[in-house]
Amino acid sequence: MNEKEKGTDYTNMLDKMKKKFFGSDETRRRMSTRKMTSLALLAALATILMYLEIAIPVVVPSFLKLDLSEIPVLIGAFAFGPGSAIIIELIKNLLHLPVTSSLGVGELANFLAGSIFAGTAGFIYRKYKSKKGAIAGLAAGTIAMTVFTSFLNYYFMLPFYAKLFHMPIDGLVAFGTAVNVYVTDLKTMIIFAFVPFNLFKGLIVSLITALVYNRVSPLLHGRKRLHSGQPETTPPVTQD
Amino acid sequence: MLMIKDISIGRYYQGDSILHRLDPRVKIILCFFYMVTVFMMTTVPGLLATFAVVVFLCILSAIPVDTILKSVRPIVFLLLFIMLLNVLTTRTGHPLFSWWIVKITDEGVLRAGLMALRLFLLILSTSILLTLTTTPLLMADSLESLFGPLKRIRVPVHEMAMMMSIALRFIPTLVEETDKIMKAQASRGAEYDTGNVFMRARGYVSVLVPLFVSAFKRAEELAIAMDARCYRGGEGRTKLHVLHMNAKDYFWFSFLSCLCFALIFIDLFVKIS
Repeated sequence: MNEKEKGTDYTNMLDKMKKKFFGSDETRRRMSTRKMTSLALLAALATILMYLEIAIPVVVPSFLKLDLSEIPVLIGAFAFGPGSAIIIELIKNLLHLPVTSSLGVGELANFLAGSIFAGTAGFIYRKYKSKKGAIAGLAAGTIAMTVFTSFLNYYFMLPFYAKLFHMPIDGLVAFGTAVNVYVTDLKTMIIFAFVPFNLFKGLIVSLITALVYNRVSPLLHGRKRLHSGQPETTPPVTQD
Repeated sequence: MLMIKDISIGRYYQGDSILHRLDPRVKIILCFFYMVTVFMMTTVPGLLATFAVVVFLCILSAIPVDTILKSVRPIVFLLLFIMLLNVLTTRTGHPLFSWWIVKITDEGVLRAGLMALRLFLLILSTSILLTLTTTPLLMADSLESLFGPLKRIRVPVHEMAMMMSIALRFIPTLVEETDKIMKAQASRGAEYDTGNVFMRARGYVSVLVPLFVSAFKRAEELAIAMDARCYRGGEGRTKLHVLHMNAKDYFWFSFLSCLCFALIFIDLFVKIS
């Protein structure tokens, strides 16, 4: 009994000494090495998925093109919080700048929309850490992203494009009318073309994220350890 | 199947020209200057002068012309779209061609040409100054240096630059892995580009789960390796290659930014007179 207590005391002492000499991760640095490398790898994945969109030939109309690059950001939001999600989003867009097809405007829009989406989802999930919390977060994120991008497009993006390239909005609206009869001006174009598109995109991305995070989270929360450096016994491959 | 192997980050062209050797921080600032300048150009002489300067930059960079022209490829769609809209919607000026509701005027053609030239110069000047002559790793380094003052207000600048470098290092590895996993899952019957959106989403999940597991595993291994080598964050960390401004960098910086201001003056002068 006495021996055991002494034993725990020693480990406590060791912990205290460690903290005294090296400081805890919070006091020593803003970010632990593990969190930093995880965010970096998530950003790498997000960048690859963003590049993939170009690699896919443009046969499918843009309505059916999925923005898969949001998935690692959302996983990051769930695993490390909303702030980390914004960092991943920023790195992803910075690494995508050299091959921009819209002079950086698309990257800026993607950064803002993605940050709102993942930030909201991560914020809600941090408060309510459960399956319901995750679903509520994803739903709220989708809605927040849709509302935000609508305003962004109406007040900033479209006028900006119009001014920059002398691109007449009327011409754009005419294209919209050809596809959808309800589109008569800029406002209706946003309501009947952009909003459904964003909601649909958010829904699909949320669905994939939920399915993926469900499988990956036990591993992140230490219920299943990653034995690095040791020979693998069971490779973690899914059976889909 | 997707052509995933075709992905290459950045479009650096190996070389040893004046622009290649220029301090990357200078190049980033100059790139910003040139973007603003090209945006401000509205007159024909102004744009022609900018064109001359961009040609001069091309010569300085010593990169083959076809490589430079390839950098325009990603914006070709935007370019054509804007030209088309401008040609079709301009109603003023002398009509050159008229059929049904389509009416093409000389003013519309001129305007479309100017817009296209402007966009072309914009993408050319940024890619010559930055993406073609600077490696992405060097760019991450110089971003850390440029945004260094933000460390004061507790923005994790060092960590961000470090993460950018790590991401750049692991992108080729993860691309290869993605390719391997996609093939492995396809051989088990996963489908990525057939069926409706929900079926496709299922196919993506079967690729993404092992991909995330592998990414987290690599992250943990890397973190252990870094901790074992006493990585302690940015404070007091030294570098093998320290960015250093020399006389040549100062000279080219002042010369090229003066050129920028000269262009703005030409444009303003033409507009007033």
